[in-house]
Parts: sequence; C-alpha cells; structure tokens
Amino acid sequence: MTHIAHGLAAALYLLASLLGAVKRGRTTRSVIWLLAIGALVHAVGFVDLHFQTPPIPLGSFPAALSLIGWLTVVAYLLCLGMDPIRAGAAWVAVGTGLVTVAAGLAIRWQGPPVAGLESSPAWSHAHVLLSAGGFSLLALTSLAGLAYLAKERELKYKRSPRLLLPSLEGLDRFEHVSLSVGFPLLTLAVITGFVWGADRGISPWTYHTFWLLSAWLVYLLPVGLRVVRHQHGHLPARSVVLGFVLLVFSYVGIRLLGTAV
Amino acid sequence: MTLLLIGLSHHTTPVAIREHYSVRPSELSGLNEKLVRSSEIDEAALVCTCNRTELLVVSRTPEAALERAHAFMRHELGDGSARPSHLYELREADAVLHLFRVAASLDSMVLGEAQILGQVKLAYRAGVAGRSVGPILNRLFQSAFRAAKRVRSETGLGASPVSVARIGVDLARELFESLEGKRVLLLGAGEMAESALRSLQQAGAEDSVVLSRSSESATRLARKYGGRAGSLEALPEELGSASVVLCSLQVDRPVVSPREIESSMPAHQGRPLLLVDLGLPRNVDPAVNELENVYLYDLDDLEEVAKRGRAQRGAAIESALAILYRERDRFEGWLARLPLVPTIRELLGQAHELARAEARRAAGSGEVGSNDSQEAFERMAETIVAKLLHRPLKQLRAESEAGAGPYYAEAVRRLFGLELEDEEE
Repeated sequence: MTHIAHGLAAALYLLASLLGAVKRGRTTRSVIWLLAIGALVHAVGFVDLHFQTPPIPLGSFPAALSLIGWLTVVAYLLCLGMDPIRAGAAWVAVGTGLVTVAAGLAIRWQGPPVAGLESSPAWSHAHVLLSAGGFSLLALTSLAGLAYLAKERELKYKRSPRLLLPSLEGLDRFEHVSLSVGFPLLTLAVITGFVWGADRGISPWTYHTFWLLSAWLVYLLPVGLRVVRHQHGHLPARSVVLGFVLLVFSYVGIRLLGTAV
Repeated sequence: MTLLLIGLSHHTTPVAIREHYSVRPSELSGLNEKLVRSSEIDEAALVCTCNRTELLVVSRTPEAALERAHAFMRHELGDGSARPSHLYELREADAVLHLFRVAASLDSMVLGEAQILGQVKLAYRAGVAGRSVGPILNRLFQSAFRAAKRVRSETGLGASPVSVARIGVDLARELFESLEGKRVLLLGAGEMAESALRSLQQAGAEDSVVLSRSSESATRLARKYGGRAGSLEALPEELGSASVVLCSLQVDRPVVSPREIESSMPAHQGRPLLLVDLGLPRNVDPAVNELENVYLYDLDDLEEVAKRGRAQRGAAIESALAILYRERDRFEGWLARLPLVPTIRELLGQAHELARAEARRAAGSGEVGSNDSQEAFERMAETIVAKLLHRPLKQLRAESEAGAGPYYAEAVRRLFGLELEDEEE
C-alpha cells in the first residue's frame, strides 16, 4: 500500500510539474489540484509506513525523506495566499516529485533496521519533525532565492522573460518570511539531534552533523544580514541557495557518497 | 521638386551614437534657416525626438541636396560618429509615408505613444519660424497631423495609449510588489517627466520628488502632483531614499554617476533601485548598471521591452497603416497636381477676365438696362465660365494624379494661349 501511494503521489507531483512547464511556469488551478491530490495520497502512504511489518520508524531515512517531501507540498499549499510563492508550483512539484520517488525507492530497498532508532522516541520524533519542517520551509526559501537570482539576471541583462516570475521585492519578502520560520526550526532540529544522539550514546561529530552544522552556519549569514543589518536582495538570496545545497548534502549527499565523505 | 528624408533612429543607431545627434528644440529654427541658405535646398525641416533625428528636404536638384544633407547630418549636426549604415535615406512617397508613420507613432519605440505628435508639431513650428517650410513641407506636415489624428481616433492604438513612461512603470512593477510607499525621484520637469509622474501616481506612487535645473518648472510639477521640488544639487541626498529614478533632463553629459549611486546604496539596504533614463543624450552613466541591486534602463533597453508588447497590437497596426496609405495617396495626389496649379490659376483668371470684359462691353453698348441687371449679367457670365471649365479641370486633376499632369498642362497652355504669357513673365 505504502509503495503504491508513494508511487502515485510522485506521479501526480511530476504530472503537475509537467503541466506547469507546458504553461511556461504559470500556476494554473489544475497544477494546484494535482499537487493537493498528490499530497493526500502521499499522506496515506506516509501513515501506512507505521503499519508495515516491521514498522518503518520515523527516524529512518526513507520515512524522513517522505515526510520532507510531503511537508514541502503542504507548506507550499498553505503559502498559496502569498503571491510570490504561487508562481513556484512547477518547481515545488518537480522537487517533491523526485524526493517522493527517492523515498519510495528507499522504502522498497531499505536495508536492515538501524539499531537505536527506536530509542528516545520523544527526541527522535522531535528531531525528525523539526528537521523535516525546517527542511521543507528552507526548500521554499531557496526556491524563492533561486527565483530572485534568475529574475535579477533577467532584469540586469534585459533578457526576455522565460518564466513568469513575481517581482524581486515579492520574492525577497517570501524569502524573508520562510527563512524566519525555517531557520529556527532547523536550529531546534540541530539541538534535538544532538540530544537524541547523546541519548543513543553516539558521538555528536558525524559527517551528517558536520555538514548540517555547515549549512546552519551558512544560513546564519542571511539571517544575520536580514535581522541585524536589515539587508535585502542579492547576497541573502545567494546565501539561502548555498545553505540549502549544504543541507541537502548533509541528508542525501553523504548517503550517496557513503564513506567517501 | 523632390522630397527627401535622411535620418537616424533607434532602429538603426545605438543610443550611444544617437545622443551625439540630438538637437535642443531651441536650436531647431536656426539650423533650419542655415539649411535653406544652401542653394541646393528649397525647403527643409529637422525632426528631432528622443529616438530620432531626421531631416526633410525639398529640392529641385535632389542629388546635390542629398549630398549637402548628408554632410550636414554627419558633421554639422553631429560629431561624425554615425557611420553611413546608421543613416537611412528615403525619397518621395517613401519619405511621405515615413513622416506619417512617425507622427502617428507607428515608428516609435512605444506604439501609440502620445508625445511624438507634439514633437513633430514642434519641428514644424521651428521650420515655420526658421522660414524653411514652404508650400510642400507645409502641406506634408498638415497631412501628417491629420493622419496621426485619424490613427488615434479610428484605431485601437489611440484607445489604449501607451508611453515610454508607462513602460517605465511596468518595469517598476517587475521590481516592486507595489509602488505604494515608494519614493519616485524625477530628474527633469518637462512633458516626459509629467507623463511619467502621472503614470506612477496611477500605479500607486504617492511620494515624489522633482529635481530640475529650473526650480520654477520643478515647483510647478511638484505642486500639481503633490510632490516636493528641489534643485539638482540635492541629487546625491535624494538618491538614498528613492526606489525609482526617472531621468529626462536635456544635458550634454550624464548627471548620475556610478560613484553617486554607490554612495547612496547603503541606505537602500539591498533593496532594488530602478533607474529609467529617458534622456537623449543619456542622463545616467551606463556603468551604473554594473552595481549590485541597481537596474538601469535607457532608451535602447526600453525599446526591447516595448517590442515584446508590439505583437499584441497587430490588428490595430494594420488599421493604422491602411489610414496612412490612404493619406499618403492623398498627399501624393496633391503633390502631383502641384505643377498644374499655375496653369489652372492662369486659365481660370483668363476665362473670368474674359467673362467680366464681355459683361462690361454689353453694359457699355446699352444692351443691358439697369445697374442690377448688369451685375446679374456679370454673375451669369462667370457662372457659365465656371460650369464650362468644371469638367475639363476635374479631368485635368485626375490625369495629373495618374501621372500625366505635365502633358495635359502643356496642352492646356498651348490650346488657351497661356504659354506666351508665361514666357513674357
């Protein structure tokens, strides 16, 4: 059931992204509906993870990946009222579609359960939920940052618009709002992760924590610029994109590269 | 007489060269006067708008006039930086249609913009003031104004007027979610600045500052639109608080430099700053666009933006062109009839004189009784002449429009004995 639901949700997300691409990035009702139905099906698949034998713990990589994908779509749908993010439907759809495909494959081919994931369920759940929430919002932040940089280039070099992007100010505002919520969630996720690790008796200095902290430090720059210096525009946009690349690497990259990192 | 047009515009020449060929309105009549002092040129008018500098010439020796006009355009008007490929050359019907297209704003960067007609009228007035506009250019300009008015009132181009300033407002929307609360800084207080300010206020910008060399015009504009006025010395200070800067000053060199913008940027805290340079010569140093969070659009850039919207107005353009073709044919007809005018005038004069002489002769011989009857007799004689000549003259005009005018004129002169009188004159 969970495999079918993840597969179907991924197909719906990717279909939404295709439809968005055909419409030159325009967010139509059909794209939104496809995303909403995809999120519903995805939710069913996510809940069903707990009914697997053996149940797949929330702290496992496939469950976390699935949760991140689902939360990103939900966060996007909740932010639809904000004009700047509305234009990003196709990008959200393609991103979450790929994440859901990866989650589905990870569920199918997951190895033996990692020892200790079930210990300290309160801390593990807090860490995974906060990380997934932070990750989802920061994904949207980086999407706004990328759109800002693309729009800036388009305006600077007087290029014909290929995508219908919102105004620079709108994108900057969305980036500010999503970063203001996403960064505290990420910070709490880092803290709860350390506590959970300490509970399990494992060293806090792993590749995951190293890259996660690097991402967190990079995010400090746009947060500092925005909060302390009230700085907007180009530099914060670049920083949130770089921060997200490191964040993705801390979750996915180290798994893909394994011991090479 | 041959009608010629040579010029350069945004279609052929980049703004960096165009700006060296711009002419201040106050200089137009003097330049026109200078042109008609040349023996090769009978009539002349310089048309200079923010995107073009064109010279209209009427001459009996077209090749010599063309040579003189080229030399004038390249070296006396500009600095010689324009290459031959930048200049275009049109003759007769093509030149007529071109002026009509310019006046009707079909050749403009922004189709249907309203300011261009005013600028063509200014060129005409300068020609009249410089006594360089004769009967042909006079008629040509009048026809151009009529054609432009028809395009505005009869096609969709007039129904949804656009202006360069309007494009500036659309650009501002690409940068800002809303113009509410944004400060607009205007450099210059002319017609263009006013049009821009009007568009910006319609888009929600309420806070405006007008800086100009003439404090009187800046104050007038600021007062009219509820803004603040100042002199250009306040520019560095005002740049820090402005989100949109619209420049339309008549200056010889840029007044906004990268250094000034750079020193104002900390106050913007990374927020974008839009500069729209509507001036020719340019008001803003192009290097300003290299600065982070600064977006500079000059006339060439606006042309690119305008092109994107041009395709949407295809039907209106077709209708406008149809009007211009009809008006051109009308003018060409008039022009073709022009050589006949002295012949017709002489013929009518001779016939009416004959009628009056016969009426007087009849009165003198006592064939007519009272004074009243004598006047009625004169009127009758003239009416007969007019009716008798009506059809031949109509035919003569028609033949002349078809290109056979000179032959028919010659025939009429021989038949009615007008030739000898001409030679005597």
